[in-house]
Amino acid sequence: MTVLAADINELALSIFAVVLGVTLVITYWASRRTRTATDFYAASRGITGVQNGFAIAGDYMSAASFLGIAGLIFLYGFDGFLYSVGFLVAFLTVLFLLAERMRNAGKFTMADVLTFRLKQRPARSAAALGTLSVAAFYLIAQMVGAGVLIQALVGIDFSLAVLITGTAMLCYVVFGGMIATTWVQIIKAILLMTCTIILSILVVVEVGSPWDLFSKAREESPLGDAYLAPGQFLTSPIDTLSLGIALVLGTAGLPHILMRFFTVPTAKAARSSVVWAMALIGAFYIMTTALGFGARAILGEGGVEAAGSGGNLAAPLLAEELGGGPGTVGGDIFLAVVAAVAFATILAVVAGLVLSASGAVAHDIWSNIIRHDRDSEAEEVWAARVAAVAIGLIAIAIAIVGGEGLNVSFMVGLAFAVAASANFPALLLALTWRRFNTTGAVTGALVGIFSSIILIIVSPNVWPGAASETGSPIGWTLANPGIVSIPLGFIGCWLGTMLSRERTSEERWHELVVRSETGLGAERAVTH
Amino acid sequence: MDRTVDWRAIEAQPEFRELQEKRRRFVVPATVFFLGWYCGFVILAGYAEGFMGEEVLVDGLTVGYLLALTQFVMVWGLGWAYLRYCDRVLDPLRERVLARAGEVAEGTATDAAPVRDRVETPR
Repeated sequence: MTVLAADINELALSIFAVVLGVTLVITYWASRRTRTATDFYAASRGITGVQNGFAIAGDYMSAASFLGIAGLIFLYGFDGFLYSVGFLVAFLTVLFLLAERMRNAGKFTMADVLTFRLKQRPARSAAALGTLSVAAFYLIAQMVGAGVLIQALVGIDFSLAVLITGTAMLCYVVFGGMIATTWVQIIKAILLMTCTIILSILVVVEVGSPWDLFSKAREESPLGDAYLAPGQFLTSPIDTLSLGIALVLGTAGLPHILMRFFTVPTAKAARSSVVWAMALIGAFYIMTTALGFGARAILGEGGVEAAGSGGNLAAPLLAEELGGGPGTVGGDIFLAVVAAVAFATILAVVAGLVLSASGAVAHDIWSNIIRHDRDSEAEEVWAARVAAVAIGLIAIAIAIVGGEGLNVSFMVGLAFAVAASANFPALLLALTWRRFNTTGAVTGALVGIFSSIILIIVSPNVWPGAASETGSPIGWTLANPGIVSIPLGFIGCWLGTMLSRERTSEERWHELVVRSETGLGAERAVTH
Repeated sequence: MDRTVDWRAIEAQPEFRELQEKRRRFVVPATVFFLGWYCGFVILAGYAEGFMGEEVLVDGLTVGYLLALTQFVMVWGLGWAYLRYCDRVLDPLRERVLARAGEVAEGTATDAAPVRDRVETPR
């Protein structure tokens, strides 16, 4: 198939250039509106609920969702769809427990809410560490994924692809801050939804009817009936549950998603933006069925080799086939468009990640911990830009040096595990448990971070052994640590709190409760 | 800002207690329900492969896929229900709390968040 050809796909490259051009013009426009820290981190809190819903969808749906889930369904059938369900249900956790409270109690970062009534230096350090670990693992995973995909789809070299992605990402964040990032995410969400809707309709037309999708996919799979049943990819039930829980609670600890709630003017807008995001993300994940089973029904077993490891190229190959097949004009155009959409998808996610990481470095560490909140607004924005450049360059360097050998799903798993085990417990308890204190936050975050990392390092994914066995040095069989590390994170929070004699400021607790419930005293939107 | 707001007094208001109580009355059961239904689905997918692979209604449509679709319906249904509940029950109650708070902490803006800058007007 043409997809893996080494020569450069010029059509895809031109569409890339258009995407880059449009987003850079937006960045220029946004840069003239980005002066204060509120502009830079929170888009002046002037994003509407609907806009934020699209931006959350754009921030959240990574290339792993678009290409990865379609690929997993293509290869293993039903199990791929379990990821779709988990990624969506996660937003109920965000809606019920966090969205409005984040908006009411926070300013720029997750740590603002977590440390609201705690001792600033230790608690903020722990929260910033949680933010940075999640953002770093997720960012490197996305950068490597970007390099691999663009290399395969467009034909440019891995390192160059990472460099282009990284440079664009840095331009958005450094010059356009949250305003540019938001609009890149909105555009990406629209492109991704449009592309997925068109492909899904074409799949259904090609297959005959939505109900024939499953039976035709089964006919094309050597797995037979088992293709439509669970257990082909996620073979260990307890591991599946562990993964499911980490997805559903981890999303509520992803700093780049939580940061989006500071961009809207009110808690009401934050709440409605989650429901908008649910509508979009849900519709998208239902359509992953059409992409994945459709790829199986249309490409058949013959497509497996071309789809590459994890089936990541199944969706682009499907598009090429629907456009008329390899070598045809229609096929080339479809393939190029899907490649460009995948590129836009990655850009929107990495920009959001870099922005949240720069908030942790500049707002939490520099401004609050080092400068004790005595720095000027201009200095904080300046620090945030420097931090974004540094984080971006480090991520680019690690992605290029580590190269294609870095295991992407391993790092995404790590990001979700840390988010669910460190960030989520501390954040939830900070908002709901009166007795919770600084020691609890620090112990909980550290236990959550290190238990996730250690359990992943000893997991069978890192130490592959013979089938049905694990090569792990301590005989650990769980690939997903969530079911152990999330309770450990909560226990860490509880134990630290109980062992400390610290009395948190009563007055601040009353303020947090009233403020998060009513929005009284919440940060205001600014108008220029 | 708003250093003079008496948070403790607002928290002690019966309206505020009612607001907290009514939020919990929705959020706690809804959270228990969605986590339970989701975990139940994942556990079935792990331990009851045969049942999940059974075909119903049309050729190729499995119990597992239908149950997965119920998760989507659950997310949209609960999301919509929560918005409605907030509009009808929680927001009016919150307005009342803020209006009362305006009396408690004199001069504090009483409209819905975000609160306007507090103007120090000596009476």
